[in-house]
Amino acid sequence: MSGAAEHAVRLRGVRKRFGRGNTEVRALRGVDLDLAAGQLVMLVGPSGCGKTTLVSVISGVLDADEGVAEVFGVDWGTLSAEQKTARRAELVGFVFQQFNLLAPLRAWENVAVPLVVRGTPLPRAKQAAVEALRRVGLADRAEALPAQLSGGMQQRVAIARALVGRPRLLVCDEPTANLDARTGQTVMDLIKEAASGRDEQGRRRCVIVVTHDNRTFHYADRIEEMEDGVLKQTPAEFILREATHAEPHAASAGGAGGVAGGPPRPGGAIDADF
Amino acid sequence: MWRIALRMLLGDRPKYLALVCGLGFAVLLISQQAAIFMGLLIRATGPLQNVAQPDLWVANKFVRYVSETRALSDEDLSRVRSTPGVLWAEPFFSSRVQCDLPSGNSRYIQLVGIDRTTMVGQPPVVTEGRLEDLRIEGAVLVEESARSKLENVRIGDTLKLNDRRAIVVGYCRAKPGFDSPAVVYTTYANCLRFVPLGRNAMTYVLVKVRPGADVRRVQEEIGRLPDVAAFTHAEMTDRTVRFILIETGIGINFGITVLLGLIVGLAVSGAIFYQFTMENSRNYAVLKAMGARRGALIGMVLLQAVWVGLIGYGVGVGCTALFTLQSRQPGMELAAYFPWQLLVGSLVGMILCISVGSLLSLRRVLRLEPAVVFK
Repeated sequence: MSGAAEHAVRLRGVRKRFGRGNTEVRALRGVDLDLAAGQLVMLVGPSGCGKTTLVSVISGVLDADEGVAEVFGVDWGTLSAEQKTARRAELVGFVFQQFNLLAPLRAWENVAVPLVVRGTPLPRAKQAAVEALRRVGLADRAEALPAQLSGGMQQRVAIARALVGRPRLLVCDEPTANLDARTGQTVMDLIKEAASGRDEQGRRRCVIVVTHDNRTFHYADRIEEMEDGVLKQTPAEFILREATHAEPHAASAGGAGGVAGGPPRPGGAIDADF
Repeated sequence: MWRIALRMLLGDRPKYLALVCGLGFAVLLISQQAAIFMGLLIRATGPLQNVAQPDLWVANKFVRYVSETRALSDEDLSRVRSTPGVLWAEPFFSSRVQCDLPSGNSRYIQLVGIDRTTMVGQPPVVTEGRLEDLRIEGAVLVEESARSKLENVRIGDTLKLNDRRAIVVGYCRAKPGFDSPAVVYTTYANCLRFVPLGRNAMTYVLVKVRPGADVRRVQEEIGRLPDVAAFTHAEMTDRTVRFILIETGIGINFGITVLLGLIVGLAVSGAIFYQFTMENSRNYAVLKAMGARRGALIGMVLLQAVWVGLIGYGVGVGCTALFTLQSRQPGMELAAYFPWQLLVGSLVGMILCISVGSLLSLRRVLRLEPAVVFK
């Protein structure tokens, strides 16, 4: 059940187009991908190469035009919209670049949203949300509104929200793009620890991080590079070496190990056990 | 999900207030115009409401509304009195008369004449002076709301009605007619002095049917008399309302105004609510991405719509109710009537307004691609 070889994501010949005629954009041009549970996979590549489209298809928020997209054995293409919504609520957690917290809701209410959506009674959802906030070091800000939190705090709330339902797949879209280096490192630490977490049945999780931030590459267990709608067969070590040359300080940034071994996680209040 | 929906709605106070005010304004437009319309109709039947005692109003058979003056003769009165089943029949006068004020100014008044002995047709309330004093030659009671129109004449002051001397002996309260002139009460006998029309002076014969007699049968008996017809209170009200609605053009004019109010209300509330949903579309996309089901999202939008709709409705009908209360102040020329039927009608109007807004919003929310959360 929790074997290392368990398939988390399986894509076969996935294609996606936007627009028509002269304005047609072929965002995905036949993507094949296999990801195992228990991994933190980074999806890198230049802007417009199709990374976000790919994670949208993987997470079931966007339908592929062609091909097969499976997540933990669930083939999105065979499900109705309602079935897809229900399975997404069980399987997938999201962390966004823009945080996407609901501004009128308090921190704990934002974290509780995925549970409420799944029909969890509010008192239980609140209990779980406050616990999730404690794990990201924000127990004392549970009653704060998003506007009263810094960017880093908001992203930690978003991570707590993404993980509170113990999803099997965590999709993070540029989670550090709007954060300074130190805060970004804290956020990546949390994401890295989430990758080693398990769902309610104790099954292993898969984390996909879309990023441009080469300072975070060393957190990855695996790196996939995209270009022009396809995955390139670039060795992860090469990507990491390139990143290290581009950013001299990247290799010394904190991390919990990864492709290159990675620097150690900084000590502190974070107790991630999602 | 209800909680999230309400927090989304209430969390942004300016937008929430704009929504409530927009809907309140829409409901106000609909209900206030309709209230004025109803008020004008009710006002048109004012002379009927002032007279509670008779079972039948006998008038010229061509009379179209209660304030229309088509004279009856003394013979008509005698014939009606001798009709089987009639307990009593008394003359009632109502006509427009020129009134010269103590200042030398003049204006038209509605002179109402009631039987000197029985006082049938008397004003509902005498506020100052005594009803019995009307029996004095030339005595008149001035209706309260006419005080200012008659330059605040006081008890004991002298007026001239058709150049004949009249003395103010008191004040009364009665409902004015459609065109809201100053109403002045006197006796039928005094009317004959003020308006010398000979034997054809009566406007109505007010009839009480004997106990146990069939009103409909008596009505038919009177209807067989030459040139007259008998109407029940309800029939005369109906006749008057129909006249105002059809022959004055008020029906079509106010109908258009109420319709415009509804259209503006639909447009305003629909646009504001749709705009609110547009501004929250990212939140809805996030909820969709997290697995919020279609039914839950529909419930959220409808809850928000019903919430702002009901509060906007409360604000709108509240303002109309205040306006209506204000119109009831003595001397106010405002005509507004706000029955429960109008409350229900406004509620239907509001539901229509908010339905349009929520349908547009639902269309937006349900078509929303959850993938926009990554943009």
